[in-house]
Amino acid sequence: MTACCSERAVEDVQQRSSLDQETRTRLEQQALEHIDALYRTALRMTRNPSDAEDLVQEAYLRAFRSLHQFTEGTNLRAWLFRILTNTYINEYRRRQRRPSSASLDDLEEFYLYDHLIDSRVQPPDERPEDIVLEGLTFDNVIQSIESLPEEFRQVVLLADVEGFSYREIAEIVDIPVGTVMSRLFRARRRLQRQLYDVAVEVGIVKEVATDG
Amino acid sequence: MDNCKEAVHRLYQYLDRELTTDEQREVHTHLSHCPPCLDLFRFEENILTFVGSTCRETAAPAELRDRIRKLCQDQGDPARA
Repeated sequence: MTACCSERAVEDVQQRSSLDQETRTRLEQQALEHIDALYRTALRMTRNPSDAEDLVQEAYLRAFRSLHQFTEGTNLRAWLFRILTNTYINEYRRRQRRPSSASLDDLEEFYLYDHLIDSRVQPPDERPEDIVLEGLTFDNVIQSIESLPEEFRQVVLLADVEGFSYREIAEIVDIPVGTVMSRLFRARRRLQRQLYDVAVEVGIVKEVATDG
Repeated sequence: MDNCKEAVHRLYQYLDRELTTDEQREVHTHLSHCPPCLDLFRFEENILTFVGSTCRETAAPAELRDRIRKLCQDQGDPARA
């Protein structure tokens, strides 16, 4: 932006910041429809209900204040998640000890599947996933998710819980699409390992003795 | 595509519907001929669906919803300006 057009720029900013009331109200209503999704994501990221409420409130406050920057017709839900993510990074992450995204990448690709097949206890007509689907509780699943390192947890929540595409996640988290894919696949592997460990812990699967 | 390795390599992109139409069809064709791959794909899909739907059981507390609603009324209140 050059100095000669600065006056014009100021007018533009004023123009943009003054959304007409009708549009503002409509966007606010639409934004409110995503509160459950934002809250459950905030809760899994902070792992604390009171922090999650504060985070969601702060994110909405920022969103309402910058509503004039939102381009109508684009993805409001992804925009809100991006604000939530940035708010989380700014407000919460520095408070917590940053869990290392340890390089536990030597896990087998389909850990849960392979281990359930190996420890096969179900009748032959039953699918291996039935053990997990019928045996694990809500708390077991949440425990598995929450034990993931932060950056893994984030992509699993965005992809598998909220159904965002790789491209949307790339924009929300601000990383390249290729990184989204590799991180997501590693995250799912870790999650399956956690689910398996929980399944063993609660006794629905017998641990297979590993060779060597 | 007759190759199990190639199909499995694309498993998550297939389940995430991130392949091109042609690639999607190739994997689909392979699965229709390969029961072991189909078992694995089904398993992965069922686990992901289970994790997703379990996590989506959580809803925002009603009082948070009220607070946010109040927040946007305050934002839109011309008296504030």
